[in-house]
Amino acid sequence: MLRPLLHFFLIGALLFAGKIVFESRDGDPPEITVRMPADSTEAQVEKEIRNQILLNEARRYGWYRTDPIVFTHLVRNMRFIEPDTGDDDLTLFKRALQMNMQEHDPVVRARLLYRAREALTYVPEDRMPTREELEEHRAAHEDRFEREGKVRFEHVFLSGTKRGEALASDAVAMSAQLEALGNAAPTGRGDPLPGLRAVQSSTVSQIRASYGEELAGVIDEGVVGSWRGPVPSVYGVHFVRVLEKEPSSVPALTIIEAEVRADLLSEIKEELSKERMEALRNAYVVHVERIP
Amino acid sequence: MRYLTPMSRSLFFALSAFVVTLIALGCGGDSGGPGPDVLGRCAEFDELRQPFFGDTHIHTVLSLDANLQGTRPGPMEAYAFAKGTPIGVQPYDADGNPLRTATPDPDRRLDFVMLSDHAEYLGTIAVCNDPNSPAYDRPADPDARPDDVGCIEYRTTNPAEITAVFRRLNALTALAPDDTRYPALCGDSGTECIEAGIDVWAQVQDAAEAAYDRSDSCDFTSFVGYEWSAGPLTANLHRNVMFRNDVVPELPISYFDEPYVEDLWAGLRDECIDTDTGCDALAIPHNSNLAAGTFFERPDKNGNPFDASYAQLRHDLEPVIEIFQHKGASECLPGQAISDELCGFEILPYANLANVNLQDLQLFGDADPRDFVRGALGEGMKLELELGVNPFQHGIISSTDTHIAAPGYDNEKTFLGHGGAGQPNRELPAPEGFPDVQYLNPGGPAGVWAEENSRNAIFEAFRRREVFGTSGPRIVPRVFGGWDLPTDLCDSPELSRIGYEQGVPMGGELSDPPDGSMPKFLVSAKQDPMSAPLQRIQIIKGWLEGGDYRVQVFDYVAGDPNNTASVDLATCEPQGTGAADLCTVWEDESFDPTQPAYYYVRVIENPTCRWTAQQCVDANYDCDNPTTQFDFDCCDPTAGLNVAFCDDVAAGLTGGEAACCRTDNPTSSTSVSFCNDVAGTLPPADGQCCRPRLEGAIQERAWTSPIWYQPPS
Repeated sequence: MLRPLLHFFLIGALLFAGKIVFESRDGDPPEITVRMPADSTEAQVEKEIRNQILLNEARRYGWYRTDPIVFTHLVRNMRFIEPDTGDDDLTLFKRALQMNMQEHDPVVRARLLYRAREALTYVPEDRMPTREELEEHRAAHEDRFEREGKVRFEHVFLSGTKRGEALASDAVAMSAQLEALGNAAPTGRGDPLPGLRAVQSSTVSQIRASYGEELAGVIDEGVVGSWRGPVPSVYGVHFVRVLEKEPSSVPALTIIEAEVRADLLSEIKEELSKERMEALRNAYVVHVERIP
Repeated sequence: MRYLTPMSRSLFFALSAFVVTLIALGCGGDSGGPGPDVLGRCAEFDELRQPFFGDTHIHTVLSLDANLQGTRPGPMEAYAFAKGTPIGVQPYDADGNPLRTATPDPDRRLDFVMLSDHAEYLGTIAVCNDPNSPAYDRPADPDARPDDVGCIEYRTTNPAEITAVFRRLNALTALAPDDTRYPALCGDSGTECIEAGIDVWAQVQDAAEAAYDRSDSCDFTSFVGYEWSAGPLTANLHRNVMFRNDVVPELPISYFDEPYVEDLWAGLRDECIDTDTGCDALAIPHNSNLAAGTFFERPDKNGNPFDASYAQLRHDLEPVIEIFQHKGASECLPGQAISDELCGFEILPYANLANVNLQDLQLFGDADPRDFVRGALGEGMKLELELGVNPFQHGIISSTDTHIAAPGYDNEKTFLGHGGAGQPNRELPAPEGFPDVQYLNPGGPAGVWAEENSRNAIFEAFRRREVFGTSGPRIVPRVFGGWDLPTDLCDSPELSRIGYEQGVPMGGELSDPPDGSMPKFLVSAKQDPMSAPLQRIQIIKGWLEGGDYRVQVFDYVAGDPNNTASVDLATCEPQGTGAADLCTVWEDESFDPTQPAYYYVRVIENPTCRWTAQQCVDANYDCDNPTTQFDFDCCDPTAGLNVAFCDDVAAGLTGGEAACCRTDNPTSSTSVSFCNDVAGTLPPADGQCCRPRLEGAIQERAWTSPIWYQPPS
């Protein structure tokens, strides 16, 4: 008797293809029949074939008997059908299975497909990434590990709440003061605001979240060394001078090894899932019936 | 290792040795690595501290309840969400694809996150969900132990049965804790569950390490953590355990290991803090509002009043309390002796955690004033007089308690439910009505003032209580208290430096008042640029007067007392004006230097729509038009309702078109009627959006940690 393929996936015994198993087992390959509307596209048919294969594996492994969500859902179905029943959950569940309810329920189907797909992603020890592979992965996908560039800037703020109608004239005066300062720091100028610092280094997205789109845009486009402003925000007006623009960068592997490993592992899982799905697909004999 | 039996301890050491060997093999010859995680490693360091937002209460697929509710994202996906990647949310279609997507709000990005999956069942539930485990099909074994629990019971999703299992295990705990921790299904000495628990705990640590930005950009900080979920008689005594760094105990301490909180603290000291390994931890109590009056009770585990050592442990291990999250606010309860109209914010109408799952049963009555933090702050001052230490000297944070692995998902406008509280959102079709219990809310972020965005800096902020919480918006409050703060401090660009030099920040303590001095408080706040303006700042003062606890709310310390802002509940458009920032220096003219006191700040936004009102508006809900209810249920994918179910029904009617959703279809009235008949369980039109119980408008807010004053002894 064939052992369910997903069992092998889970314990890491089937590493390369379902074919290997089928080549060494006794008996015929598993067969399924997929019924599809006549006007289904080839892609739709293929998708359903693969789903049916996974469902068949889950069925052969008996997950419908033991999965907690399947259990609860079928019990709930039974209580809907038999609202006055005094039977306990287990009895109702067994009755649902006797009625073959699991074969037609969309929740059961979705749950079993989910579990089967999870099983396909099992990573055996010998597929765990080496340090060399991590370094290659980091180099090949720098965009994934890039730290957003930062802008270092001086910031003078005038509060609309505090200054009220004087805000506009105060802004004009502040503009002139800053211009007259030349390269000197604007020490002691402007109003305080929680979190605002006279000099800070931030990403554009951090500035956007703190002060809104307009100031973020001005700082992003700002030229190093010249004051920009007044720039309005919900808080009042801002004057900013960009001191330095730090480009985005990718930290060394020693710094971000765990991050790179997690990213590569997700790729390996996807790859393994595809390999195994193909192995299963090749191992099955599939009959397609098109229903008019 | 105190909580392991001798056999399981041997197994544990064997497994640990194996793991250590693997690590050594895997990392042999590796030089370098990130530098030490010491304060000052970030490029953007500010000794005057910066505000950071985070979420320290998140459940993923690893938690029993989230798992059973159909949550599929794990720790990796949760961290990815916190950094901006959407996640699929239950329910799922017939092919297993999520029907809903939770998208992070780019304007509410988080700086730090701690996942807090339940420690209970961490290994056991993994065993019971692993078809390859010998225990998978193992039923309860009453011959092995009375009232044993098998995998079937562990896998139950029936809230009442979960409660029954909890109760059964609680009862067992009182008699034989080892039996409770490792039921018969775990095999001899709990072997299988210990092994599975180590694997799961390793997953938690690996995910935190992968998410933590160890570069000097310091863009994101993760913490290793878990939730200790004590629930005697289903009263909530939960704590989230937060570790300073990656040096953590070999396994979490669960409620089944240590059923009393003082033993959790002792365990954290024994297993972590006192080990001289660099391990450090604190516990964050939360949802005191659901403890049936027991959260701040005096008796210890033996029924005796607190003694000084208990109070000291609680003071040291629990510097911060989470007073706002998905399952309600725990600040204060309306209707108490002190008039505070804003105490009614997001109060759950029951006092017990079980009621969140069993809405129709009032097991322990209404919310209990003894469970609210404002009362505990007073009790704490009394205990300090008696014992010399204040066990309830808590700083204040918020978090989400999301059970869909969505950290910081706290926007009223886009809320899809947190999937917790026993809501069966995993199923298809989804439950009718709102995608979460209408009494619950999206939660809010924890805020800290720290030198940099690193584990050490943020952990230290928690320890010194320089933290705050909000109900969702990124309001930034700042507070300093002192005897000589300049009255014009709000005008000074040197505000922060002067605040630290001449005072103490939120969470601090004032003492030794100069003769005749009264405390002054710099209170300031900045609105969330993407949310409503601020209406006012309040100061809540509590003090002891002749042994009696008094509270006074200073209602308009800053802001406009004539602010008449409101929100149009038909459109959710805010109306009126408010302040983008507020600042004042407030002096307590009623100060008596002989009276212990505390002061905390509440920052109040202008009114906005609550999430329930927002969803009704988004769905064009019309209480006078019952068919609209069906449209809402069937046709709004963002509401997470019966989309696929309705499509199936509609397909039978009109050959594939979602006729139920097409009010412009000439046959739609017939279709809707038919669909309603078929659906059967859909609520009447006034079942949700038209319930007068639900408040339409709320005033979002921020709470700061208190500043305490203690008279000279």
